[in-house]
Amino acid sequence: MSQFFTVSVLLATLATAIRFAVPYLLAALGETIGQRSGVLNLGVDGIMLLGGFGAYYTVLETQSHLAGIGVGIAVGLFMGIVYAYVTVFLHAEQGISGIGIFLFGLGFSDLLFQELVGTPKPIKPLPTLDKLPGVGGIFEPLIDIPVVGELLFDHNLLTYFALLLVPFVTWLLMKTTFGMNVRAVGENPQAADSLGVSVAKTRFIAILIGSSLAGLAGATLSLQLAIFQHNLTNGLGFIAVALVYFGAWQPRWVLAGALLYGLVTATRIRWQSLDIIPQSASDIAAMAPAIITILALVLLASRVRGPAALTKPFSRH
Amino acid sequence: MENAPLLQMPLLEMHGITKSFPGVLANDNVSFDVHAGEVHTLLGENGAGKSTLMKILFGLYKPDSGEIRLRGEVASITSPTSAIEQRVGMVHQHFMLVPTLTVAENVALGLPSNRGFRTDLDAVSERITEISDQYGLAVDPGIEIWKLSVGERQRVEIIKALYRDAELLVLDEPTAVLTPQEVDDLFVILRQMTADGTGIIFISHKLHEVLELSDRITVLRNGKVTGDTTPAETDRQQLAEMMVGREVKLAPDKPHVDLGLARLQLRSVSVKGDRGTIAVDDVSLDVHAGEIVGIAGVSGNGQRELAETIAGLRPAEAGSSVMIDDIDLTKANPAQSRAAGLSYVPEERMKDGAVGEFDITENLLLIDHGDAKFRKGPLFDFAKIREHSQRLVDQFSVKTPSLDTPTSSLSGGNIQKLIMARELDSRPSVILAAQPTRGVDIGAAEYIHSQLIEQRSIGVAIVMISEDLDEILGLADRIAVMFEGRIVDVVDRSVATREALGLAMAGG
Amino acid sequence: MKAKRLVKLFAVIFAIALTAAACGGGDSTATSTSECGSDLAVAKGDSVTDLSVALVAPSAKDDVAFTQSMVDSLTRLGIEPQITDGTFVVEEAAAAIRGYAEDGVNIIIAHGTQYGGSLAEIAPDFPETSFIWGTASDNQGLDNVFAYFPEADQGGYVNGVIAASLSDNIGLVGPVEAGDAVAYIEGFIKGAEANGASTSAVYTGSFSDVALATTTAQAHADNGVGVLTGTSQSAVGAVNVATANDIPWFGTQSNTEAWSSDLTVASQVYHWDVVLADMITKIESGTLGGEAMALTLENGGLVMEFNGCYDLSADAKSAAEAAIADIIAGEIATK
Repeated sequence: MSQFFTVSVLLATLATAIRFAVPYLLAALGETIGQRSGVLNLGVDGIMLLGGFGAYYTVLETQSHLAGIGVGIAVGLFMGIVYAYVTVFLHAEQGISGIGIFLFGLGFSDLLFQELVGTPKPIKPLPTLDKLPGVGGIFEPLIDIPVVGELLFDHNLLTYFALLLVPFVTWLLMKTTFGMNVRAVGENPQAADSLGVSVAKTRFIAILIGSSLAGLAGATLSLQLAIFQHNLTNGLGFIAVALVYFGAWQPRWVLAGALLYGLVTATRIRWQSLDIIPQSASDIAAMAPAIITILALVLLASRVRGPAALTKPFSRH
Repeated sequence: MENAPLLQMPLLEMHGITKSFPGVLANDNVSFDVHAGEVHTLLGENGAGKSTLMKILFGLYKPDSGEIRLRGEVASITSPTSAIEQRVGMVHQHFMLVPTLTVAENVALGLPSNRGFRTDLDAVSERITEISDQYGLAVDPGIEIWKLSVGERQRVEIIKALYRDAELLVLDEPTAVLTPQEVDDLFVILRQMTADGTGIIFISHKLHEVLELSDRITVLRNGKVTGDTTPAETDRQQLAEMMVGREVKLAPDKPHVDLGLARLQLRSVSVKGDRGTIAVDDVSLDVHAGEIVGIAGVSGNGQRELAETIAGLRPAEAGSSVMIDDIDLTKANPAQSRAAGLSYVPEERMKDGAVGEFDITENLLLIDHGDAKFRKGPLFDFAKIREHSQRLVDQFSVKTPSLDTPTSSLSGGNIQKLIMARELDSRPSVILAAQPTRGVDIGAAEYIHSQLIEQRSIGVAIVMISEDLDEILGLADRIAVMFEGRIVDVVDRSVATREALGLAMAGG
Repeated sequence: MKAKRLVKLFAVIFAIALTAAACGGGDSTATSTSECGSDLAVAKGDSVTDLSVALVAPSAKDDVAFTQSMVDSLTRLGIEPQITDGTFVVEEAAAAIRGYAEDGVNIIIAHGTQYGGSLAEIAPDFPETSFIWGTASDNQGLDNVFAYFPEADQGGYVNGVIAASLSDNIGLVGPVEAGDAVAYIEGFIKGAEANGASTSAVYTGSFSDVALATTTAQAHADNGVGVLTGTSQSAVGAVNVATANDIPWFGTQSNTEAWSSDLTVASQVYHWDVVLADMITKIESGTLGGEAMALTLENGGLVMEFNGCYDLSADAKSAAEAAIADIIAGEIATK
């Protein structure tokens, strides 16, 4: 037990938790915006798989992480257009459409992977701050700061982007006309429509932002792991959707949920690797992240009910 | 003062508006105008064409023929937004507000911000405060809508229109959800607005309010204008007849009935609401054979919970007692209540009273489907069942294309008649009717009222819960007022006044 | 007729001999060493049978793990089966199995423990068809079902012995505590601990969660392990961590040099072809099933493949050889 509480192990655990949380955070923030506009997207996992494969394959072929990230976002954007068209303009049932997107993403990413790659080949890992080409030198001394240096500065750029996205999404939702429109169409689309706010346009854009972030989340996952594999996400996208619910549709609670999930997962793995959790309890330990995160958010996050028009297609009568 | 603005050009003129839908002529050559500074009431039953006319005014429908002029100029209104741009505002019956947004956000919604992409709610709040001060529309711009009372929400709707510089304001059934005191407050505000030159279209079916507020009244029936009058020239009776197109008994004749024994006895009934707090607080009431007791009150003061408890749908707290004809029903389920002689006409007729997807026959059979008379061995006797349905449909004049029509496609009045038919057919000893004529046209309401009075004369004890004071005053023998879960006053009809009841309803 | 069978039997034996020879260089059939930088592609052997063969497997046919090992084995036997892969969903697999049976395929390989229930339903309906099912240590009493299972603890033990010579602190990344995964991990622990190393094993709870496998391997790396090993398709994440941290890696199921050519020390490779050849011979002689066969170091079903690119000390290698000999002789209990 004492071994776990050495500073270096604690910090390494925290750093792992943050790294682990990033794909969840990106996907869940995107889904938050979509759900605030009244659209549930259960296809997040499928979009992540496609975005993740696109990013992985691009890096494999071009060696450019930037290109990979761009492709991941673009794939997400494209899937978003499909999903938005089906749900916003064709008024399709959101739950089923989302499952369709998921299954398509799951199958098609695997097909592309089998056809184009086959055996998983590692790609070069995402550089952490200090290894960034050109500017890395600036950050090197920061990492040497005792105790917090590694925790704060030994991450890749996407990690910082995801964390900065939290206040940005809050600002976007609460302080901009677009965000106000998003909240309005998610709550009472008739009212927004009566004041000339285009429900379709607002939801369309919200879905595109959400699915682009899902694509980015997938790219982050595959680039962080530097590999792709059949069903790489392993249901991560669904957990992200759950985090939105349990995070009460608020970016800060979604962040808390993602970090907590990451922390419990990282801690569980650490404890098992240090034999603090006995081998016999490994099945129970595997469930711990989900259970603890849900319990914590249920208890802590203010129990705001969700957007009233969530999953309800809008059309003028 | 009152005639001066009328000499000017009308703010709004709708000329010869005709609009037909497949099989229906919704507006038939309707002409209607509003001057600055007047309240022009649009009166008519459901389906008379009022909302079609207003949807045309807001660009939601395109008329087949006819034209709209605003301030003398031919206007092209293609959408609610273009109506707003042309300074026409609307306060919908079902508020068009986003509950989780603040007052200022609701007001700012859809308008460009001074700061571009970022909202500028401080500036919006400032302007809201100015408007509030001008018209006495007190409301805090920073508060979320869900924290506001119904009356305050309505003020926000009016502010929304004024913020957009509306010169013409349409109010669709604005008093339906207000207490009498709130109605008085609203009228003060509306009069101030007309004094400042706003033109108001007032849509209502509460005749005494129409007479109180209007400068002019236009009555629609079946898409046609059937009356164009002023309060000075008309009265309730005449307005009702213009609406319905025949003679109407607004205040039904009630034959004298000797009061019998108390059939429904409530003793210290307390009930918890959906949120676990006390919704009905120590209510005691006797309802006698041959008596209609009206329970007045603004909705949300425990009436629904009380009704559900009497019907066996909601458990009462310890110490409560509910009896029908000396049968203790305090812990009864709905079947036991019915067996004891209770008929229940629920408030939410499509949720609790009938199954929308079921046809007429099936809904009429909902209660009696286990009855031996409708069975042949283990199977339904469909011939008998249809005969039974046809008899009820005829007896209660339910207007339906066939017995196989899905109930949800009937009008509100016909659905209510269907439910009444089913409930009264079981020869009840106590009838509990909640909002029996809400959203029902005058003709059907008149019929439903006459049925209740007939039941009264054969010795049934009737509890009628209603938010409509006209209905309460017209039908009830005694009136109990509910406020915050308690019965705050019980008065005999002969000594009840609208003012005193209104005061009691507001807890005064 | 008899002559023909005899020819086939020779062909099978020849194929096995060829395989052993091709793996080459090893002192016994239980080990081999790849030539550094060589292509890992498995050479197609001469066909041992005219019977039609179909394979239903849960993961991708080139997963560098469970499914690929079966495809490679069939290739060595010169068999090109019809393949339905990626059927994680048992219902889909069952449909595929039944479909092949209805199409008249002679031998259907259901390569997944989880297909056992479906097989118990399907096999009795097609008494003329032979089903080969694994990994499973009994054939559920069905006459037309052969079962196969690897004694994965044996290769695990050998890997553990070698690993202990490289480091006294070893991290293991297991998927789910079941089947050959748990056998491998526990055999490895036994072999490593018998040689004085301490081990830490973590089961992630998933066969497919690459992110968890990565996190787990990273935790081991942060704890300062000198050797990593792991199993299942999710192990690819752990291999990446090993590569990034320059930690030697031990593989199982398939040769993981495809993932990590520099740091894979040795892999326990399943040569299903040994038992398959046996089964096919029996099938051709009319016995459609009724037996379970184990892959062992002794029968050549388990082969320890050393990576020619990794410079393993002669001492370590001879310790491994000794362990293999002892296991085959029954002097070391690996379970």
